[in-house]
Amino acid sequence: MIRLQKVEKIYRRGAETVRALRGVDLEIHSGEFAAVTGPSGAGKTTLLHIVGCLDTPGRGEVLFDGVSVDGWTDKKLTRLRREKIGFVFQQFYLIPGLSVADNIALPLLFRKQKPDKDRIATLARMVGLENRTRHVPAALSGGEMQRTAIARALVNRPEIILADEPTGNLDSKNSEKIFDILKGLNRSGLTVLMITHNANLAARADRIIRIKDGMVEA
Amino acid sequence: MSGLMKLAVQNLFRHRTRSLLTMLGIGAAVAVLFSVLSFNRGFEAGLERELKGTGLHFMVVPSGCAHEVAALVLHGAVIPKFLEAGVIDDVNRAEGVSLATPILVAQMPNPQGGRIDLIYGVETAMLPDIKPDWEITGAYPAAANELLLGYNVALHNGITPGDGIRYPGVEGVFTVTGIVAQTGSQDDAFIYMDIREAQAILQHPGGATAVGVKLTDPVRMQEVIEGLESRVPGIQIVTMGQVMNSVSTVAASARSLSLAVALVALIIGTVGVMNAILMAVFERTQEIGMMRAIGASRWDIFRIILKETALLTMVGGIAGILIAAAGSTLIEGFVRRVMPYMPTGEMLRFEPLLAMGCVLFAMTIGLLAGFYPAWKASRINPIEAIKG
Ligand SMILES: Nc1ncnc2c1ncn2[C@@H]1O[C@H](COP(=O)(O)OP(=O)(O)O)[C@@H](O)[C@H]1O
Ligand SMILES: [Mg+2]
Repeated sequence: MIRLQKVEKIYRRGAETVRALRGVDLEIHSGEFAAVTGPSGAGKTTLLHIVGCLDTPGRGEVLFDGVSVDGWTDKKLTRLRREKIGFVFQQFYLIPGLSVADNIALPLLFRKQKPDKDRIATLARMVGLENRTRHVPAALSGGEMQRTAIARALVNRPEIILADEPTGNLDSKNSEKIFDILKGLNRSGLTVLMITHNANLAARADRIIRIKDGMVEA
Repeated sequence: MSGLMKLAVQNLFRHRTRSLLTMLGIGAAVAVLFSVLSFNRGFEAGLERELKGTGLHFMVVPSGCAHEVAALVLHGAVIPKFLEAGVIDDVNRAEGVSLATPILVAQMPNPQGGRIDLIYGVETAMLPDIKPDWEITGAYPAAANELLLGYNVALHNGITPGDGIRYPGVEGVFTVTGIVAQTGSQDDAFIYMDIREAQAILQHPGGATAVGVKLTDPVRMQEVIEGLESRVPGIQIVTMGQVMNSVSTVAASARSLSLAVALVALIIGTVGVMNAILMAVFERTQEIGMMRAIGASRWDIFRIILKETALLTMVGGIAGILIAAAGSTLIEGFVRRVMPYMPTGEMLRFEPLLAMGCVLFAMTIGLLAGFYPAWKASRINPIEAIKG
């Protein structure tokens, strides 16, 4: 579904250059649940951003459903993200002044679509927040915040969920819950790519992608 | 409420104090702008109304008092010079003059009341023609020893129709027959007296500070004026048009000054808006990065920020209009004290179209101020903003 070919990414920080990715070849298959692991600074987030067309590789190519996104405009990439990709972040990034329901509906704004009440309700139920749709994020637990973020990632019916340490800020019980939700989504056909430091969770994925020093370990 | 609107509203609510202060800045500017503009309209309309209301075509005054004339014609300021006794007859005899009425304005000590009265000596029977807009409680004076009082004179001294007033050197008592309803102008400060009595008290028989003239045929005004000026020495003739001009000139400079103040206030308010929105953008860098990641285009971000700016300036502007409307009596009272001349009647009338114009103007400027922060926001790099 998404293929990275000889992807390299170099960041410049003042005089220093950081080779965040050094020739990554990787294929994410449709319907799989892949965990990305590796030490801090290995390039996991960079990889996720490139897979998610949020960042572009310095060298190499990204193919989405067989089509290279090389040279695509920001507008085209934005549209691809909006329609096919759901992002989940470690810090949740919910909008504090909006209710759970409105946070879930946020991506619809950028499609100029009216929020479909039934769909929002269904998603809230799917992540176990049916009784908290009118709450603001501040009234939620960390686990509930992340579940809101997952529902938000799903509202545009993406093909793949990219989660960057989604359980990084959660205790083990809540981590389990988040993992179970992602696993359930995967069972119903969604592709999931999840960065995690939690070896337990990684072990339960279909596949583990180990990153070290900007390279995929065999 | 649409989603984008909700987003904008909740963002403004996130920093209530900051939003409130920013709105207040814009509000104050709009209040001043609106007040100045509506005052301006009211002033011009009032001036025209009043000049029409005098029913006179021009004034004959002693030469060399041009500036006081404007005030005199409309409200009877005290002019320190008198017309020669024969002038009134000369004017009356002139061809084309249908009516010439002498006016004698003077200060008169009133030891009984412990004050100095402003006397407006006039043919009292002419008052309804000279001041057609007046409303009277009681009656116009019918006899020589009867007086009509301006609103403030009556109010401050607790005088009611039927009361008597004495002046030194005059036998007998003047009886107040009526009070003029409040005009909001200098008219409120005068005591209107039969001109012959005023002349007697001032020991200036036949004297007048001015002669108001009405023509049989206004088209021949120029001709009549030239005739009078060549035949009668020591006079000057001021037409209503000239009065209008001289009053307008004073008003115009006052207006441009206050308009400048309003614009400066608006610029300061706008800088406040820019600052507030810019701060809001920087604080929300991560959030904006997230929105870009989940599918917001640069244009979406730009619009969100601009919507916020529009909302801020619109609410501020509307608040400004409300402030101006609520404070209009206060403002009007203040302006009346500082302006050399003010027409009677209410100057600050609420005009919805003008109010809308002011709000729209503030919004336009506010939106311009929002462009830079909005553009900044739209350039936020999502990967910089949301480092995982
Ligand atoms: N925007 C950036 N500018 C400069 N260096 C960066 C930037 N983003 C990441 N890096 C560097 O690239 C390397 C990989 O980062 P990252 O992909 O975030 O690693 P991980 O997610 O595995 O911890 C790190 O050394 C990091 O400091
Ligand atoms: Mg990371």
